Amino acid sequence: MYSTPYDYLPMAIMAAVAFGFVAVTMAATHLLGPKRKSEVKLDTFECGIESQQNARFPFSIKYFLIAILFVLFDVEVIFMYPWAVNFKEGGLEGFIEMLVFIGILLAGYLYIIKKGALKWE
Amino acid sequence: MNILQTIPLNHYIMLSALLFSIGAMGVLLRRNAIILLMCVELMLNAVNLLFAAFSVHHADGGGQVMVIFIMTVAAAEVAVGLAIIVMMFRKAGTTDINLFDTLKW
Amino acid sequence: MNTLITVSLLGIAAMLSEVFRFKKFIQTVFIAAVTGATGLAVLDWGTSYSYFRFMVLFDDYALAFSILFLVLTLIWLLLSQEYFCNENTRADYFALISFSLAGAIILSSFSDLSMFFIGIEILSVSAYVLAGSNRSDIRSAEAALKYFLPGAFSTGFLLFGMALIYGATGSFNLSNISLWIIANHSNLPVMVNAGVVFLITGLLFKIAAMPFHNWAPDVYDGSPTPVTAYMSTIIKAASFAAFYRLFVSCFSIMADWWTPLLVIAAAITMIGGNITAVYQNNLKRMLAYSSIAHSGYLLLAVAAINQLSKPAMLFYLAAYSVASLGMFTLVNRMGNEQQLDKLKGFAHDNPFYAALITLLTLSMAGIPPLAGFFGKYYVFLSSIRSDLIWPVIVAVIASLIGVYYYFRIVYNMYSKPAASAHVVSLSGFDKSAILITALLTLLLGIAPALIADII
Repeated sequence: MYSTPYDYLPMAIMAAVAFGFVAVTMAATHLLGPKRKSEVKLDTFECGIESQQNARFPFSIKYFLIAILFVLFDVEVIFMYPWAVNFKEGGLEGFIEMLVFIGILLAGYLYIIKKGALKWE
Repeated sequence: MNILQTIPLNHYIMLSALLFSIGAMGVLLRRNAIILLMCVELMLNAVNLLFAAFSVHHADGGGQVMVIFIMTVAAAEVAVGLAIIVMMFRKAGTTDINLFDTLKW
Repeated sequence: MNTLITVSLLGIAAMLSEVFRFKKFIQTVFIAAVTGATGLAVLDWGTSYSYFRFMVLFDDYALAFSILFLVLTLIWLLLSQEYFCNENTRADYFALISFSLAGAIILSSFSDLSMFFIGIEILSVSAYVLAGSNRSDIRSAEAALKYFLPGAFSTGFLLFGMALIYGATGSFNLSNISLWIIANHSNLPVMVNAGVVFLITGLLFKIAAMPFHNWAPDVYDGSPTPVTAYMSTIIKAASFAAFYRLFVSCFSIMADWWTPLLVIAAAITMIGGNITAVYQNNLKRMLAYSSIAHSGYLLLAVAAINQLSKPAMLFYLAAYSVASLGMFTLVNRMGNEQQLDKLKGFAHDNPFYAALITLLTLSMAGIPPLAGFFGKYYVFLSSIRSDLIWPVIVAVIASLIGVYYYFRIVYNMYSKPAASAHVVSLSGFDKSAILITALLTLLLGIAPALIADII
């Protein structure tokens, strides 16, 4: 119930280990690792294929649309959690209400399919 | 859980007021439309925190239901907002709202 | 309730018309459904039912405003015929309009803070999209952005206010909140006062009242003209319906405390809006500022908060919106350049319609015996009843300033056309829209009791 400073000791140990591990490994790789500096070695990716250009460039807007639609439908699912928890209390009425809700979502889904928002090409 | 409930309600109010102010100042001071959008989200989430805290305080589920509503509506709002920002970016080539001056401010 | 369900289903039907290929008939369906919804609202008249566990309450106030929104939409449809021409976007626009109408109806009928929030969001999110609906024009995109950012910002304020009210009272239900405030009237926690301030701030943003009006002229200017007409009439009416409903049912007991805030906002809105409108040479922008100024008068009715302010608000909104729809018909026909100069010679070519537009302008300026005059009269009456004397004096001075720029419109219409100027010409739908709005303005001016006595 009441927390004392003593309760935080495990967390302090945990934090010390975490930070210590980072410090030790960084120092160790720096000191022990061999150092070879060549153009290929300093490249962003070492996968055999030469990198083309900067990664930060505008990309196709289609990804954006699909991401947005995903977020929308993803968030709407949140309404199902309280319904699922109270499924028995809600009874038939609650079930029908959820069907109406899903039906409206489905109408939106049909609409975006028809509009071609999910087409890649 | 128990430790959470020992935190006085006032602290929640302070925290969400602080978050809300940070968001509001962000909207007023920043100039990038995307960051503005994120600041608005921060404001809404400060409100969510407040609703959740009050919901526990009053032992009333209404506040939590409101949080769910705010989250879904905010998602819809952000979808529309991002779409508008993208449309503006394609036309103006920037997301700096100071440069949007086709209309007199 | 049936009205709300009809309008919501209409929105879904409009969306599905794209899928099931009845896009061609969607306008017919829309007109039929909106007329039907109006009929359903009229049939429910005099009843007062609560639905969804006291989330919405359809009383006479809600029904009167619903009917107002629906009728205005029907008139609005006349002037926006060309807006719906494009086959690809027609169904979308109808769906968005239906959804925002559903939001407006919720805003006139909510009896729970969560419904208030949902209503205002349905109304505004559709409006953000509509503002940016002219995709070929950067001005439209900019208007959408400038509408969206302040809109989302003010939603944050509204929600924070709601959270504080909920925190103090422990309920979302308007009558419970009101009962709690009455019970604890002697020592209200500061949280309630802070919540009311946040709510007022958010709502002043939404109705574009003066300290928070900066977004409105740009948005009204940049949006496609039919959307501007929609925003400055139906959306404005819905916001005011919500404003009044919220404050009269929750906070009327502590009116002494928040009335000064609203009165000050109203005073600077009336004066500021009218003075800035004088300096505009663009008719659309001028109407935007005039719309801000009219918000000031309406705010006075909200601040007065007595028996008279409800009919005063309804009548003022009806009179202003009808006249405004007629004016926007003219703006719509002026194309992309809405300079006042472009009106020159209009009266020479269309003497009859110029006379009707003069009538609408006079009504907006508040010249008796037109509808606008009685709107102002009722508002002033209700303010005086609440002892708000100096705001009424300010309002009268502001109206006098208003008369000046409204006469500029008339003056430009009746002056000689510049050589080689393209004179504005009206289509059949435009003519009927102007005719109907002018007739309604006259009718409401001759028999103001038609609307003023019903609620």
